[in-house]
Amino acid sequence: MNHSVTEPSRLQKWCAGILVVGYALVTIMPLAWIIATGFKSPGDAIAYPPKLIYEPTLEGYVNLFTTRSRATPETLAQLGPPETWYDAIVRQYDMVISGPSRYGERFVNSVIIGFGSTFLSIFLGTLAAYAFSRFKVPLKDDLMFFILSTRMMPPIAVAIPIFLMFRQLGLSDTHLGMILLYTAVNLSLSVWLLKGFIDEIPVEYEEAALIDGYTRFQAFYKVVLPQATTGIASTAIFCLIFAWNEYAFAVLLTSGTAQTAPPFIPTIIGVGKDWPAVAAGATLFLVPVMVFTILLRKHLLRGITFGAVRK
Amino acid sequence: MRGFVNGLIRLRRGPWETVATVLIAAGVVMLMQPFALAAYTWSFAVTLTGTVMFIVVSHFPE
Amino acid sequence: MTDDIISRERAAAPGALRRRIGGLSDRALAWIFIVPTILLLLAINIFPLIWTIRLSLTNYRANRTNAELEWVGLRNYERILTDPDIWNSMQATAHFLVWTLVFQVLIGFSLAYLINKKFKGNDLWTTIIVLPMMLSPAVVGNFWTFLYQPQIGLFNYVVAFVSGVDPSSFSMIGDVRLAPWSIVIVDTWMWTPFVMLICLAGLRSIPDYIYEAAEVDRASRWRQFWTITIPMVLPFLMLAVLFRGIENFKMFDLVVQLTGGGPGSITELTSINLKREAFEKWRTGYSSAYAIILFVTVFGLASIYVKALNKVKER
Repeated sequence: MNHSVTEPSRLQKWCAGILVVGYALVTIMPLAWIIATGFKSPGDAIAYPPKLIYEPTLEGYVNLFTTRSRATPETLAQLGPPETWYDAIVRQYDMVISGPSRYGERFVNSVIIGFGSTFLSIFLGTLAAYAFSRFKVPLKDDLMFFILSTRMMPPIAVAIPIFLMFRQLGLSDTHLGMILLYTAVNLSLSVWLLKGFIDEIPVEYEEAALIDGYTRFQAFYKVVLPQATTGIASTAIFCLIFAWNEYAFAVLLTSGTAQTAPPFIPTIIGVGKDWPAVAAGATLFLVPVMVFTILLRKHLLRGITFGAVRK
Repeated sequence: MRGFVNGLIRLRRGPWETVATVLIAAGVVMLMQPFALAAYTWSFAVTLTGTVMFIVVSHFPE
Repeated sequence: MTDDIISRERAAAPGALRRRIGGLSDRALAWIFIVPTILLLLAINIFPLIWTIRLSLTNYRANRTNAELEWVGLRNYERILTDPDIWNSMQATAHFLVWTLVFQVLIGFSLAYLINKKFKGNDLWTTIIVLPMMLSPAVVGNFWTFLYQPQIGLFNYVVAFVSGVDPSSFSMIGDVRLAPWSIVIVDTWMWTPFVMLICLAGLRSIPDYIYEAAEVDRASRWRQFWTITIPMVLPFLMLAVLFRGIENFKMFDLVVQLTGGGPGSITELTSINLKREAFEKWRTGYSSAYAIILFVTVFGLASIYVKALNKVKER
């Protein structure tokens, strides 16, 4: 009886491991299924029983990025053999590619709005977080709570006046409007998270710098910022993921030029029930987030609790 | 219990925050319960009172 | 050259004086750093909020801007708070809220408890379990409609495989009895990892020596679990429950893509209901009052949340 009481026995570890792995496999199944569906032909996608083994094809991806029209046998004969591999895929169905689809544009919109708002909210958030962390600010707790409460607001409730305001200012359906909006929503997260990260940097470094003749601003810029890089990077990823995933504001405030991917992906399905194309669209949209999640795993807990739980 | 009442009388933050929290919780339950329409009708007033109270009493001394 | 002079001067000046020469005072800097954030939040959150309060007292309709604006006082609030339809959507929200919380807490805590047994490779599997949480709820809702398809859907197939019923005999999102559960299942799938992560942090924050002391006192494992583990994890659990509660109270994107509020209005949660009033029926004044009611509720819950947050922070 000389092992530590808190160390679980071998048997316990095995049982725990089997249960957790079982849950993980079940939970990952829907995601794996969507990724797999993206590489199926429309027929395989709706086969019963669901097909586990199939011949992979890029049809879904071709359909995702193109618009196609049906061609008569004569026109097809005139066109001669298909020039590219994606032409070949489409020709199987007596179709020709008539142009690119909107998915590319929407994806680019997501990227522009995502990065734009992330940059802005990190920029403003770092400044504010530093001030809250280091200086005596009157009503500090109230301001911090105010900042956090802005994130708690139900998007639909805020959307009514913002819709009217954007209409008045000519910001509806513009990139700038969406960037400003997402910046405002993300600021709460960036201020709270970054304050946590900056709180952890010892004040002594700055004091030393101040004694060396740095100004406060120089101390902030040359001493604190380099120390906070990890924190800033992970906060940025959180902001990016939020802006990337956001749907409620996007669907209410954008319709064309500035529409992001989340409101667009459900419309891919169209009348033809083209599930592989939808799955392909979802896959391309979700995989970057999965990669970021894996990169972030050490800071995940912090991000979801606004920096309160640090592990 | 006596400490709690004492804290209320001396306007301390802790017990008053508890009261406000209970009010907010009661308001939320009243808003979503499936039993009485009257409770639903008055839920908003209760939640609002609790919320305003919370903001005020969080400035009381510890 | 001039730089040199300035820095020499700075080095010569003592303490506070040096700082003033070198730039702005701390106070000025603090305000310069904070004000942009506050201004943006005022413009995009507070100003609209005040506007909503104003609108909620009128009969304004955003699709008829030149109609005459009439002040109706608290009539909008009165109508919403006596409307059985809106009460129904509150109850739909309650069903969703309560069951998602129950499942997520039970499964999330159990998983955290198991992962805390520190078996080999637990980090890797934790990362895999966490994946659904970070995805776009709208896209998740959209692809779950595919998994829920009566015959071809994976979900129906698996249920049929396990239970033996015909996979085309039930439709999770088309059936009035099943639809409320279909949204609970997807939300649980998506957000259990959230509760799990926070519980795991709670479990890991319990120092070993407490268990060792209990062992010396010959407390049984069962007793240790209820008198040490649960009370120590409880503040963390509260945090998770409050946060998920707030999020699910205002749930919109996932459910709107999954069921769109249907069939009928059986899964029409408050946010979806509000969206219909505001952006389909265009009863702007009325829906502003609705929005304020939701907002005050969330704000109240958020103040409790911050209190819970600070409690956990002290640990």
